[in-house]
Amino acid sequence: MVSDSITNVSIPSAPINNNNARDLGKKKRARSAKLKQCKLDVRREQWLSQGAVKNKDCKEEQHAGLQGRRERNNHRSLVMGPRDGENVGSIHHQHQHQHHHDSDLDSNSPSSFTSSVLGSHDSETIFTGSSSSSSSSGGCCSGNITEDDDDGCLDDWEAVADALAADEKPKNQSSEPPREHEPITQLVPPRQIENSKPQCARAMAKAWRPDDAFRPQSLPNLAKQLSLPNSNVKRDGGVPWACNSVVSPPSSCPICYEDLDLTDTSFLPCLCGFRLCLFCHKTILEGDGRCPGCRKPYENDPVEAETTVHGGSLTFRLPRSCSMITRS
Amino acid sequence: MASVNQDNIPGATGTAPAKKSQAPAKTADSQSVLKRLQSELMALMMGGDSGISAFPEEDNIFCWKGTINGSKDTVFEGTQYKLSLSFPNDYPFKPPKVKFETLCFHPNVDVRGHICLDILQDKWSSAYDVRTILLSIQSLLGEPNTSSPLNPQAAQLWGNQEDYRKMVEKLYKSPNA
Repeated sequence: MVSDSITNVSIPSAPINNNNARDLGKKKRARSAKLKQCKLDVRREQWLSQGAVKNKDCKEEQHAGLQGRRERNNHRSLVMGPRDGENVGSIHHQHQHQHHHDSDLDSNSPSSFTSSVLGSHDSETIFTGSSSSSSSSGGCCSGNITEDDDDGCLDDWEAVADALAADEKPKNQSSEPPREHEPITQLVPPRQIENSKPQCARAMAKAWRPDDAFRPQSLPNLAKQLSLPNSNVKRDGGVPWACNSVVSPPSSCPICYEDLDLTDTSFLPCLCGFRLCLFCHKTILEGDGRCPGCRKPYENDPVEAETTVHGGSLTFRLPRSCSMITRS
Repeated sequence: MASVNQDNIPGATGTAPAKKSQAPAKTADSQSVLKRLQSELMALMMGGDSGISAFPEEDNIFCWKGTINGSKDTVFEGTQYKLSLSFPNDYPFKPPKVKFETLCFHPNVDVRGHICLDILQDKWSSAYDVRTILLSIQSLLGEPNTSSPLNPQAAQLWGNQEDYRKMVEKLYKSPNA
């Protein structure tokens, strides 16, 4: 649990460290940070649900105490503005206070923050708020929280938060603007993301549309992914070659056992109805030129066979034209 | 079944052009032979034909060993014959060379195991495969062509099925022994 949360927290800092302030980089960063944040929130909520049970007794005290702290935290978060912006999502996912989210986006004003905290009267909310702000604003309130809950976990949070704060200070300004563009590319607007974690994760995974110009090349292509298992299924389905020959037209060439394409399936070189792929037909014409099905020589000469091959778009008429040739 | 076939077609459109452009090359040729032989092997093993079997030799898929059981109600009932099949590089456009490995007293099989069967020579069609070859040889055992024998003695004796059966039993050596 503890180690998990550490890795999750530390990840958002990595892309930020590696990126210079480029527009594209910023977008990427903001989004990956959001993705990570989403995972992070899941962890945090698990952790909080444990903490909530423990802390039920001292709920009231926390209410009183944290509100005071909150005032201070938010002063801090004003300074750390952009960084806090990343955490807005987390606060939002855990509680469906949409106004809360909006106001946070607009400005990290202490009043809006406090009001939202007041609006939700369970210890979880308060805890979330404080822990997320601790991860964003460094050691400011971590001391207070450490008193509340088990130490090891929070110490780690604190340490990570310190590291994050140190890393990000110079780049905070650059990560702010892309946030405004995000609703455009996001399929699910942030405010519709509910508390449920799987939904949240799925919505985040869709943050990149396949046709998005800024979509990283390294991301797997959804269309490709979809086509892969399908083609595998086709392959597997094509295993019983022996059975295929019974059905007409066959799905694979009876000579080379390769799959017949659309041109091949509409290619009927012999009146006996024996079908084969164009390539095998050509090979046979180079040899004895007899239909494998009836052993009669193919009546249309190779030149005509070639022309029928090239009439790819008129494939439907091919069999008929072939038989007409043989009849005349 | 029908739906499977339809599903196969779109998949084929993707792979077929690449295959065809490479096909004239010699390497691609042997690859298509490989594919055909592998497919045949698969079909043979899935098909479950009684009385015939075939499998490639250990390291060479162009050389197979096959077995044929003598059909019921023939003088060859209860016997099993081993054969070798050797596939040319232009298989299936050219027939494989098929030989009896087990001595077979038959009008159309000589002492060295050569088989006189039209479909293995001038009547060959690329639509034939190992399965149809073995089934043809199996039926040849019970229905020899005595007019052009490779083994005149056997052709002469064929008229007397009882003596022929005795001769078969006398000469027969189980391939497993």
